[in-house]
Amino acid sequence: MRCTQSFPIDSSRFDALAANLLRNRDADMLASPPGWEGESRSLIGIDPTAELLVRPETAAQTIKDFAFAEPGPVLGFLSYTYGLGLRGVPSKKDSDFPAGHLKRYALIVTHDHATQRMTVSGPGESSVREIQKAAEAVAPIAFPRPNGLYGRVRASLSRKAYMDGVRRTLEHIRDGWTYQLNLSLKLSRHCPDLDPLALFLYLRNRHPAPFYGWFTSGALRVLSASPERFLKLDDGQVLSQPIKGTMRAETPAPELVQRLTASPKEDAELSMIVDLIRNDISADCEYGSVRVPRHKAVFHVDRLLQMHSDVTGTLRRDRDCLDLLLNAFPGGSITGCPKQSSMRIIDELEPHARDVYCGSLLAIHGPRDMDSSIAIRTAVFDTRSGMLDTWAGSGIVVDSDPESEYLETMAKAEKFLFPDEEPQ
Amino acid sequence: MRILLIDNNDSFTRNLEHLLVSTCSNASVQVLPYSELTRIPQAELVVISPGPGAPCDYPGYGPLLDSGVPVLGVCLGMQIINEHFGGETARHPHRMHGKTDRIHWRGRDWTVARYHSLRCSCVAKELCVEAELPDSTPMILSHENRPLLGLQFHPESFMTTYGTELTRHALHAILSD
Repeated sequence: MRCTQSFPIDSSRFDALAANLLRNRDADMLASPPGWEGESRSLIGIDPTAELLVRPETAAQTIKDFAFAEPGPVLGFLSYTYGLGLRGVPSKKDSDFPAGHLKRYALIVTHDHATQRMTVSGPGESSVREIQKAAEAVAPIAFPRPNGLYGRVRASLSRKAYMDGVRRTLEHIRDGWTYQLNLSLKLSRHCPDLDPLALFLYLRNRHPAPFYGWFTSGALRVLSASPERFLKLDDGQVLSQPIKGTMRAETPAPELVQRLTASPKEDAELSMIVDLIRNDISADCEYGSVRVPRHKAVFHVDRLLQMHSDVTGTLRRDRDCLDLLLNAFPGGSITGCPKQSSMRIIDELEPHARDVYCGSLLAIHGPRDMDSSIAIRTAVFDTRSGMLDTWAGSGIVVDSDPESEYLETMAKAEKFLFPDEEPQ
Repeated sequence: MRILLIDNNDSFTRNLEHLLVSTCSNASVQVLPYSELTRIPQAELVVISPGPGAPCDYPGYGPLLDSGVPVLGVCLGMQIINEHFGGETARHPHRMHGKTDRIHWRGRDWTVARYHSLRCSCVAKELCVEAELPDSTPMILSHENRPLLGLQFHPESFMTTYGTELTRHALHAILSD
C-alpha cells in the first residue's frame, strides 16, 4: 500500500537532501529553486519502476499508455527531434540522442519552499521513513563552483557562419517563408574532469530560474536551467508563458524595462509567438476559451531582461494533456512562425541536431494535469566521452541585425560555459 | 452554417477556426489541409488561410474560386484570389510582421494586425480595393460580382481589436448576395 508523509523542512536543508538523493540514489529532479516568485515547487523521482525510451517513430498512444497507466507523476523529456517527426519535417541530422525518455518512480519527493514543507510518497512505510530520516539528519551545505570547466569551446557555427545564417533567414523572411525564426548554435567542450551534478547544483543555487531540471538518461545527464514554461495544465486549465524579447541588463532597472517593452522589434517578436501559441493550443481548447490575460510582462534572469506573456484556455473534455502537448510541440517560441515552414528552414541552416535543446522537460501528473518547460539554457553531459554540449539561439525577425543576434545568442550560452566569469 | 477552412500549412489556422465559430453562432468549421484540396468542397462558405510563401506555391484553387461558393481569403488567401483573376504579388518594401496598422473601412477605423512580406502589387481588374494603406498596399479586396472577399491583415490575431465584428462585416458582404 502506498504511504505518504508530510513534514516541515527549510529550503537550505532540502537543497542538501536533494543533492544527496541526486548523488546517491540516481534521482531525477524538476525544480523551482528559491528566489523565484510564483514558482516554488520541486519534484524528485527516486527508484524508477518503469521507463519509456521514446524513439522518433513512437506513437502518441504509446506515450499515453505509459503516462496514464497508473496515477502519480511521470518525469522526463521529449527532444526537439521528436517534434520534427510530429510536424512532418524530415531531417537528415545524425544523432543518437534519445527522442524522449519518461520514467515512473517508486518514491516521489515534493517540496514547496513557499510553505517549507516536504511530502514523500512511496510503496511502503519503511521506504518513506528512510527519506524522512535522511531529511532529519541532513545539514545545509555549500555548492561551490565545480572544477573541470576548461578546454576549448567548439561552436557548430562560427561568428561569421551564424551571421550568414541570420542573413539567409532574412532572405527567407523577405520571401514570406517565415516571419520569425529561432536560429541556434551548438557549443561543445571536452570536460572529462567535470562533475556535472556539481555544475547543476551550483547553477541552481547561484542562478535561480523557475524551471531547473536534472535527468539521467543512460550515460547522459540532462542539465536544464530554463526560465521558460511551455504548457501547464491544471485540472484542464491551460497556461502557456512564451518568452520573446531580450535585453542585456545587470539589474532590472525600470528605465531598461521600459526600453524593452517600448521596442517595436521586441514587441513584434513576442506578439507573433503569442498568436502562434494561441493557435497551437486552440486545436485542443474549447471554442472561445483562448485568451491572453497578460502581455509583455518583464522578468530578470541570467543577467538578461526577458519579456513574456500568458496565454490561457480550457482543455476540451475529450482531450488530454498529451493531445495538447503533442499538437503544440515543439514550443513556438523556439521554432518561429509559421511553425512547419520555419522548422524546415532551421533544419537547413543549422548544421547540428538540437537533441533535447528546444524540446521540453515534463512532469505528467494525470490526463488533465501536467507541467512542462522549454528546454533552453540546457546542457547535456556525456559521462562516456566527457563532452559537455550546450546550445543557444535567438529569434530572427525582419529588423534583426546579424551581429546583435550573435551577441545575444552568446550571452545566453554563458550560463553553462562560463558561469560567473567573463566570457572569453 | 457549414464552413470549410483550408489550411495552407499555417500557424494561425486554428485561431481563424475559433474566430469563425465566435462570429457565426451556428457555424460548424471543418479544417482541411491544403494537400487534400482535390475537388470543389461542399460548404456554404470556404475560408482560405494565410500561409508561408506566395500564391504560385499553392496551385489548384481555380475551380473553387470559379464555383460560386462564397470565399473569404486571409493574407495569402487574398493574394491567391487576386492572382486567380490576373493580379500580381511582389515583395513588400515595408514588410510587416506582428505589428498593427489602422485602416478605414465601412465608415470607421479599425486596428488590424499585419503579417506579410508580400503584397498585391497589381490588383486584378475584376477586384475592387475596399481599403488600403497610405503606401497603396491593398488591405481589403472584393470581387465586383462574385461572393469573394480578401483581407490582407489578420482578423484572428489578438492584436486586431475588433476581429469578431470585422469578420461579421466581411462575412455579411459575401453571404448576403
